[in-house]
Amino acid sequence: MGNSSTLMLRDEEIEEIMSETEFNRNQIVRLYSRFLSLDKKGQGYLARDDFLNVPELAVNPLGDRIVDAFFTLANDNEEQQLNFRQFVKILAHFQPISRSKRNVLNSRKDKLLFAFKMYDLNKNDYITREEFKVILNSMVGANITSDQLDKIADRTIEEADADRDGKISFDEFCRAMEKTDIEEKMSIRFLN
Amino acid sequence: MLGAEHLLLLFSTVAIPPVACTVLLCIILATFGKSLGLRQIYVDTLICIFEWGARQIKTTEKIKRKESTIYAQPSSFFIGDHISTDSVESDCENVESDADSGEDLPSVEFDLNDESFMKRKFGSTTSLASIGSVCSIRSRKMSESSTLGIIKRETQIHLDDDLDDEIPDEVFVKSRGWAAIRDSVDFVKAGLEAIIEDEVTSRFEAEQLMSWNMLTRTSIQFYQFVNWKLSALWIIGFIFRYCIMLPLRFTIFIIGLVFLVSSTALIGLVPSGSLKKKLNYSCMLICYRILSRSLTAVVYFHDEQYKATSKGICVANHTSPIDALILSVDNVYALIGQKHQGLLGVIQRALSRASSHIWFERSEAKDRLVVAQKLKEHCTDPDKLPILIFPEGTCINNTSVMMFKKGSFEIGATIYPIAMKYDSRFGDAFWNSSEQSWFGYIMRMMTSWAIICNVWYLPPMTREPNEDAVDFANRVKKTIANKGGLVDLEWDGGLKRAKVPPKMIAKQQERYANRLNRYTSLSDNLRQDEDGDEVIDDKPVSGYNSLEDLPEDVCIDEEDEDDTFQDDTPIDETIRKLSVNEDVRNPITAASSSA
Repeated sequence: MGNSSTLMLRDEEIEEIMSETEFNRNQIVRLYSRFLSLDKKGQGYLARDDFLNVPELAVNPLGDRIVDAFFTLANDNEEQQLNFRQFVKILAHFQPISRSKRNVLNSRKDKLLFAFKMYDLNKNDYITREEFKVILNSMVGANITSDQLDKIADRTIEEADADRDGKISFDEFCRAMEKTDIEEKMSIRFLN
Repeated sequence: MLGAEHLLLLFSTVAIPPVACTVLLCIILATFGKSLGLRQIYVDTLICIFEWGARQIKTTEKIKRKESTIYAQPSSFFIGDHISTDSVESDCENVESDADSGEDLPSVEFDLNDESFMKRKFGSTTSLASIGSVCSIRSRKMSESSTLGIIKRETQIHLDDDLDDEIPDEVFVKSRGWAAIRDSVDFVKAGLEAIIEDEVTSRFEAEQLMSWNMLTRTSIQFYQFVNWKLSALWIIGFIFRYCIMLPLRFTIFIIGLVFLVSSTALIGLVPSGSLKKKLNYSCMLICYRILSRSLTAVVYFHDEQYKATSKGICVANHTSPIDALILSVDNVYALIGQKHQGLLGVIQRALSRASSHIWFERSEAKDRLVVAQKLKEHCTDPDKLPILIFPEGTCINNTSVMMFKKGSFEIGATIYPIAMKYDSRFGDAFWNSSEQSWFGYIMRMMTSWAIICNVWYLPPMTREPNEDAVDFANRVKKTIANKGGLVDLEWDGGLKRAKVPPKMIAKQQERYANRLNRYTSLSDNLRQDEDGDEVIDDKPVSGYNSLEDLPEDVCIDEEDEDDTFQDDTPIDETIRKLSVNEDVRNPITAASSSA
């Protein structure tokens, strides 16, 4: 009824997404309706601005970086748009880790990778001292001196840099985060 | 040609008398403020029909799912979320669907407007009725949780200033850098949760309903074809709304408008005084009653003892342009707003003839002082009507109350809060001004089933001596939210159109910086002290790897902590103090810092 029926997901698409991710049908349908409401211009894909129009994300000091990591993980080819399939796939990284382990997307490593990508500004698979400073700076703004910032950055890199090359690789990053409960901290509780 | 004319004539002779009678009846009733209870009956009937529709949708869904699980491969048995839930539920559903499909045949001659048929249908077999009611309660619960959202939010960015409960006690960490990275993970989670579900943008969209109300806007889940019975119902409903309700309502609306314009013009001729006031009062009530009937507005007023009578400011939450109309059915208010063009402009000018309202030019709106001055003048004049203000400054979809602009709370007048809650099952009153024109909105209102609204008058409030306008506004907002069952949000409704101001981000950064400073990283401090020394030690100087490994006596005892909180010492000093404490207790650090 009504012309909006074209907005519905086709059954095959839902099936496919279900097999790719651990989401069930209901969750996919609901995520799709969210996708549609984020896509204000009705283009069928999301651009960076569509995300940053969410005020709660825009006040997040790392909001911009999060969106960036979202896009980096979704498509490496620099295309600044995201379709529903990619959207859901990224969100699948944040599903809680379950015992059945059918999902390949939400392991501890996948979750950490998202955080790593967020720090890796130039996408060369390393976090440098400068990159860390940029992120820390966007978290605290003008509230600490550049001297303090430098010191913190030096120490941070030094501490995790096992091979002494002055930058942190993904492996080093994972090792440094060993004690952190990433499974809990980077899992979103999706309702059934 | 002649035939057509003949038909038209025939049609008009048949159609005009009942239409004219209904309209006349409406207007007479409106004039005396009486009601025959017809609207109530109408609404009750609609509820019955909607409940039936909801059951239809559920049943069909169940049957479809059952089919799909039977034919699908066994593995999907575990994916289906509903299968693994308690068996009682599915049993109940099965009985219902079976019973319902058994009833399919006789319901061929089902008619929308036949209420008794509905009763017969569901009252005839008692077992069916009881099962139905059980299921509907359960389904209501279930769909409530489903309207609540996609995820359960755990991390959120807060806007308020209450820092104390937010920031953890001083924590000793290996290095602040890694602590920051760990915290950034929390930011990521908050951000992603906001992407999936957020408090603000959803407030500017039509509220999602749990059951389909045969109107299109309020639920995207119900567009697909369910079964032919529902489709037939929808078509009948459509014809009813567009061919019967719309012309009637439109006629009443026009009559109401004409009455408004002409009566205010007449009242404008009367010299000002108590007579004019009285005339205006009764005329306005009649006008608004007629106009509200043009939308089939059923308004329930509660706690009328708190109704504003003379000077003062009435503040209400804002959902749509008809808010003012709904409230004016029961009381006469002075209005404040921007000057408009077109139809709204005509109404505004008409209203101003009979009593004083505040209309300001768009250019003046920026000049807050001018408006505040006008407002103040109005409020101090005992002859003027209470003024009605919607301090949110924008329409919100009636699920929440957003930040109140502080302007109207600065004046110091008595505030009469009013909470309004529409029943969106019969037509969503929310005006999404960025998507819909004013006329389109009125058309949609007139083709909805009805506008049902609950209005609560709340006890008058005044500003406490030590309270600033913002706090007072928040207090009023909270009372309104509580009464109306709305979510109390800190966010500014202006974000509907504008971007988040950098100031807000800066505030979050400041909050995080404060938090970071609380991480009393021993190693950082020591390094600062020993900048000249060549002691480079990868391990934290305290010799402990993490917080958990610290011996108990390293932790500061509570008394000290309370002190530092109370006297509001700057953070740097706090850190110094704490590290002094450390020196006394921890021999290693004491030794190294004295060196």
